[in-house]
Amino acid sequence: MVKFHFSRKQLCIPYALFLILFVIIPMFLILFYAFTETADGAIRFSFANFIDFFTSAAKLSTLLMSFTVAIISTAVCLLIAYPLAYILARSKFKKKNVLLMLFILPMWINFVLRITALRELLDLIGLLGTENYLNTIIGMVYDFLPFMILPLYTTLEKLDNSYLEAAADLGGNKFTVFTKVTFPLSMPGVISGITMVFMPSMTNYVVSDTLSNFNITILGKLIDQYFTTYDNWHMGSMISIILLVIIFITMLVTGGFKDGKQEARGANLW
Amino acid sequence: MKKKVISSVLSLCLLLPFAMMLAGCATDNTPVLRVYNWEDYISEPTESEDGSAGDDYVDLIAEFEKECGVRVEYSTFGTNENMYNELQINPGSYDLVCPSDYMIMKMISEGMVEEFSDDFLQNSNYAKYASPYIKNLFEDNGWTKYAVAYMWGTMGYVYDPAISESVEQDLSSWAGIWNARYASKATIKDSVRDSYFLGVAVAYREELMQLKEQYDGGTIGADDYNARITEIMNRTDEDTLEKTKNALISLKENLYGFEVDSGKQDMVAGRISINFAWSGDAVYTMDDAEPYYEEDGTYVEGIYLNYIVPEECSNIWFDGWVMPKGANTELAETFIDFLSRPENAVANMNYIGYTSSIAGDAVFEEMVDWYDESADPDNRGFDEDGNALVPYDLNYFFNGTSDGNHADGDFIIYVSEESAKRQISAQYPTEEVLVRSAIMQHFDDEINAAVNEMWEEVKGLPIPVWAYVVIAVIAAGIVVIALSYVYKGKRKDPKPKKGYTVVKKG
Repeated sequence: MVKFHFSRKQLCIPYALFLILFVIIPMFLILFYAFTETADGAIRFSFANFIDFFTSAAKLSTLLMSFTVAIISTAVCLLIAYPLAYILARSKFKKKNVLLMLFILPMWINFVLRITALRELLDLIGLLGTENYLNTIIGMVYDFLPFMILPLYTTLEKLDNSYLEAAADLGGNKFTVFTKVTFPLSMPGVISGITMVFMPSMTNYVVSDTLSNFNITILGKLIDQYFTTYDNWHMGSMISIILLVIIFITMLVTGGFKDGKQEARGANLW
Repeated sequence: MKKKVISSVLSLCLLLPFAMMLAGCATDNTPVLRVYNWEDYISEPTESEDGSAGDDYVDLIAEFEKECGVRVEYSTFGTNENMYNELQINPGSYDLVCPSDYMIMKMISEGMVEEFSDDFLQNSNYAKYASPYIKNLFEDNGWTKYAVAYMWGTMGYVYDPAISESVEQDLSSWAGIWNARYASKATIKDSVRDSYFLGVAVAYREELMQLKEQYDGGTIGADDYNARITEIMNRTDEDTLEKTKNALISLKENLYGFEVDSGKQDMVAGRISINFAWSGDAVYTMDDAEPYYEEDGTYVEGIYLNYIVPEECSNIWFDGWVMPKGANTELAETFIDFLSRPENAVANMNYIGYTSSIAGDAVFEEMVDWYDESADPDNRGFDEDGNALVPYDLNYFFNGTSDGNHADGDFIIYVSEESAKRQISAQYPTEEVLVRSAIMQHFDDEINAAVNEMWEEVKGLPIPVWAYVVIAVIAAGIVVIALSYVYKGKRKDPKPKKGYTVVKKG
């Protein structure tokens, strides 16, 4: 009888292949396209796309608008999600998980369907066609709120009660306890939530297209345009790279790469 | 060593299903025709709930396969550019593709397409039944050998006549939707080429109207008039780009928005009242919005919409079949021959709603069935109450394509005055409209980039003032946080209280 023994290395082969085929090679392709241009049917190395991006008023204003929309959406998400996650995590209600489920439930419905429904709703209220920016932000918040709630809830729930009791013992009133103990300890969740909401808000153009009637262009839309209608893969790839760099910097600033302590990493699950 | 081999084989087995998917189907001897078409662009039955084909529309592909003993590999694309890229990446992967006008021009100029055979051009159903108007258009532009038209039409406005008393008057010019009266009431296409056309038409409105006066006054002939409009509508110099950009940016403020496909539903739902549309979509919208009776006789409310082609000019568009290099031309021609039978053209028009380039008795009779309001089929021209109807002349399109049921000059449909502004005017433009309809040429790469840049600016500018405020606040916030870090850093070692000294560690 033959015994099969897989070493860890061998078990990694399928995923390694997947990684190479669908992650690493495409990344190099994007890099290749971003720093080349097609002239007279021949592809040659060039920085033209990079220079074009930072000298084009339209592209810079799109970048700025994506930034603004994403920042506002993230801030609103945080303002809504934090109190909610806090109350949920601190409450002694026994069916907390059911409540949490209710907040995540919308994620199980197809997202295009939800946005289309939201469009009808905004039309009913009378915002559609007039308040394009507001609609886009409402859509982003609606769509990404669960991604903010979940990491916040996870961190806040794990918060050791004895810290809070100790702070109270030492004379801190509720406000001080919150600002000096609870909030700093929940920072990993906040950062995780911000990264989860901020990045897709800059690119999720289905939301901005549907709810602003194509009035607002965000970076994701611009990339799509370059690949599908403008037929210029070089510029499309360049914008993708620039977006990648922006996301990389955000991660760096918010400390997403830090090999934190166990509890800090726990919240970065999402 | 052996173990290693076995486990490697096993891990390869995990990948086997993928490999099998890539290998594709087994081949047999049936010839295969590979067709690449727009989505929803050929008559096919609706799938019923149990997955079987319904009997509402003709299954043209299945019929062709049965009749000619061919297997059709049918795939679809969403944009011309996707189709073009696919052909660039996999040359020779299709026998027949159906791009739009400008893409056909681009493909011809790049030598990407095969020529049609003389036999096809002289003896096929297409040669026999395609409208003389379409054939002339192709001949004049030198496309006859490379492409055959499939569906065609104009561009115009679909509008709700009830929105204002002067709407018909206002929309007789493309500039109508710039009017503040229609603020947040109109949409245009989120597509560079179509919107560029609109912008140019408005930027050069005066020049176009002068030409129209000259043509109406008889100073210039129809061909000359059309050639000069075509020249204006194909301008792409810097000055034109600037004017067009400004025109479109000022329009943006007045619009409800841009649309790709939602314009139809938004019109029907009454969210908007004016939609810049392709004639085929216009027919669809008007059909959908109309009041109708359900099968059990209940009346469903609706609105009658109109279609108008403004008087400055319009754009003639078409989608056509071309055979990419390396195609099986014989099979491809057989398929077009099959599609060009008037009864199959009728099936397609029924399903798609667009206007086929094919004329012939069956198509004309279908149109009479759809639109003619005469009470008496033998003595047409009067409705049930005996009122005279308006003749809608389609001779320019159908002459010479009849199998004997109709004589040339008899291709006239009688409709009421209101109906003449509805579906039929979008389905078949009048000759008068066609005189001022220009073909938009394809842009070369350099111009294309400039036009795209212009469109990007239209879509991305201007930035609202509050956005600057938000950015400024955030920037200020970042500075404050950064400063506080610096400040904290300085205070890291608190000063010892008086009377104490710091004991150094270590």
